[in-house]
Amino acid sequence: MTNFLLVGFGATVGAFLRNELTLQQSKIKIDFPIVTLLINILGALLLGIFTAQIHNGAILLLLGTGFCGGFTTYGTFNMELSQLWFQHRVWRCFWYFILTYVFGILGFVVGIHI
Amino acid sequence: MRKRGEIFLFLFIGAFIGSDLRYLESLIFKTSNGFPLGTLIANLSGALVLPFLIHYLQDRYNLSPRVVLTLSTGVLGSYTTFSTFTADTYHLYASGHWWLLFIYLTVTLVGGFALAILGNYWAAGQAFNDYAKRKRGHNND
Repeated sequence: MTNFLLVGFGATVGAFLRNELTLQQSKIKIDFPIVTLLINILGALLLGIFTAQIHNGAILLLLGTGFCGGFTTYGTFNMELSQLWFQHRVWRCFWYFILTYVFGILGFVVGIHI
Repeated sequence: MRKRGEIFLFLFIGAFIGSDLRYLESLIFKTSNGFPLGTLIANLSGALVLPFLIHYLQDRYNLSPRVVLTLSTGVLGSYTTFSTFTADTYHLYASGHWWLLFIYLTVTLVGGFALAILGNYWAAGQAFNDYAKRKRGHNND
């Protein structure tokens, strides 16, 4: 039961932060979902750091499964990919895909080793 | 929806439900070989449902912006996760489960995109069905 509360509270803060950052997307004059990209890379980096540094299971649930899990998103990323696809912006779609996966996984690897 | 406190409350409810649903799935679908089936199921189902919510359910049920925020950014945003995917990938790589790593990467990369596309078509198909039904209804008047 406590575990569910830890995950839930962590995810709430993560989701709120993600929402605040996503609202900045409309203010940036770049026609590319750069905010979600940065959120996912940063979240993966943080999860790598947490995984390596935190050895308490409860705190890892709060910050890892909860906060990083709620902060990063796979649903919105794929939705944005599909939007670029339907708008025939195939190259943007391609780069968004590549950048997210390459730098996301790289982010976690860097995080776990620093 | 200008108040930050209000937004936080709605996201609180949504993110709590979404993240715990994902956590529950990771407990239910625990595999003996370490394959992250729970994360995969959460991510793929979330990728399919999000476009359907945005492009169909929102209009069909006249959902208010706060309900949409709760369900999309809150529930589905926290239900699906990217960071855990990168962690799973690293662990499969580090433990030398090459086949599982290959399957996990392929299904996540191709499946998520394909299901998001499918979710858009699903929404369009439902919207068309509703339209056709309304038209038939008018013809019978």
